[in-house]
Amino acid sequence: MELEPEIVLRYLPQLAEGARVSVIAFGMALALGAPLAALICAGRLGRRRFFAGLAGGYVTVFRVIPEAVLIFWMFYCLPPLTGYQVSGLWSGTLALALISAAYLAEIFRAGIQSVNAGQWEAAKALALPRRTLWLRIIIPQATRIAIPPFINFLTELLKGTTLLATIGVGELALQAYVLGAQTFRYLEFLTAIAVIYFIIIFPIARFGEWMEHRLAAATR
Amino acid sequence: MIDLANLDFSWLPKYSVPLLWGLWTTLWLGVVAFLIAVPSGLLLALGRLYGGWYLRLPIIGFVDVIRFTPLLVQAVWIHFALPVVTGQSLSANQSGLIALTLHVSAYISEILRAGVIAIPKGQWEAARALGLRPRQIFQKVILPQVWPLVMPPLANVSVATFKLTAILGIIAVTDLTKAANRVNTFIFRPLEVFTVLALVYLAIGLVLAWIAWRIERHYAAPRTGRSAAVVVLTPSIAGRGHGT
Repeated sequence: MELEPEIVLRYLPQLAEGARVSVIAFGMALALGAPLAALICAGRLGRRRFFAGLAGGYVTVFRVIPEAVLIFWMFYCLPPLTGYQVSGLWSGTLALALISAAYLAEIFRAGIQSVNAGQWEAAKALALPRRTLWLRIIIPQATRIAIPPFINFLTELLKGTTLLATIGVGELALQAYVLGAQTFRYLEFLTAIAVIYFIIIFPIARFGEWMEHRLAAATR
Repeated sequence: MIDLANLDFSWLPKYSVPLLWGLWTTLWLGVVAFLIAVPSGLLLALGRLYGGWYLRLPIIGFVDVIRFTPLLVQAVWIHFALPVVTGQSLSANQSGLIALTLHVSAYISEILRAGVIAIPKGQWEAARALGLRPRQIFQKVILPQVWPLVMPPLANVSVATFKLTAILGIIAVTDLTKAANRVNTFIFRPLEVFTVLALVYLAIGLVLAWIAWRIERHYAAPRTGRSAAVVVLTPSIAGRGHGT
């Protein structure tokens, strides 16, 4: 067995193109998923039981269905359902966004519900307007609680973007796999992307764990 | 736009055999991987907690590499890159089972480690004062208290394991997802095939999630009771809990 690590450097442009697609999928899934998550979270916490049930059902369904299955469904069913040609990147990203929305909604909800009831009562006693109550009292404290799980979720989403490979979107993992197949240098290319993902995710995840410990120590 | 009246499910009985085979593969892969991962996760957790540095460091490295890289990359690496190292090629099912088992083991080891750490030191001290040997202490005193603590997260991991099996189609494991893809290439009815696929996964996933939720409720109830007592007894600690 001879290793040729330098072959990875020779195909760096292709890998960079894959990384670009991964970043687009990651960014768009987050940009679409986060506002939807806020909406679902508002529905779940709101007084209208119908919307609370609807939001709860959404969260359950999209947390239970496997990501890969939803990606396939979107890829094959969106074009005939909508009548538009939807690229793999877009249908896959939309699937990731819908799933992200379910997970993020739960993270937001946990953050808001962890704010002490006394804070609500105190704000009410001071007759603070609702806007001030939310923007100055609840959301700042909820954000603090939600940051570690949010960071953890970002690493999960980044790992989730590799699933777009299953519908042939040329993101980082698929590019490396294809290059490995073309050059018969699987070991070099596949090890290279494993290392790349590790180098990106490791510090983010460790930062999240560090924040979690700090928060736990501060609130103990 | 498609006319919903034109949906055709007449292929379903004809292709039910390959689909059921796919479902069988999905289920046994998930169950076997999970059942192997619990004891191996326990061994990893023990090695990391009580082993020397020569045991601890490799385990930390392994668990972190697994947790911080995607399963898809791991599966593809094991199926295509590992044979280059070992000179022995693996079948898709073998690679898929190995990848899934390693992945789930790493997550379970972290859960079990947290569970062992959560047991108060006093339990060790009391057991030692009673003259129990370390091995006995762990088996008879610590571990029985760890299981109820870790049951809810373990139940969640079992749901996650089931979801992760759908990824293994990338290395040609003919699980339910891959089987549906194959059927679709024969009859090209993507809307029907993938909607049925999604509904089957949803149904199984909901059952598993419901069981996980029952387990969580069963084991969480007495614990909340105890922590409520702690809150009542020590208001100064509880008061600092949130906000301020």
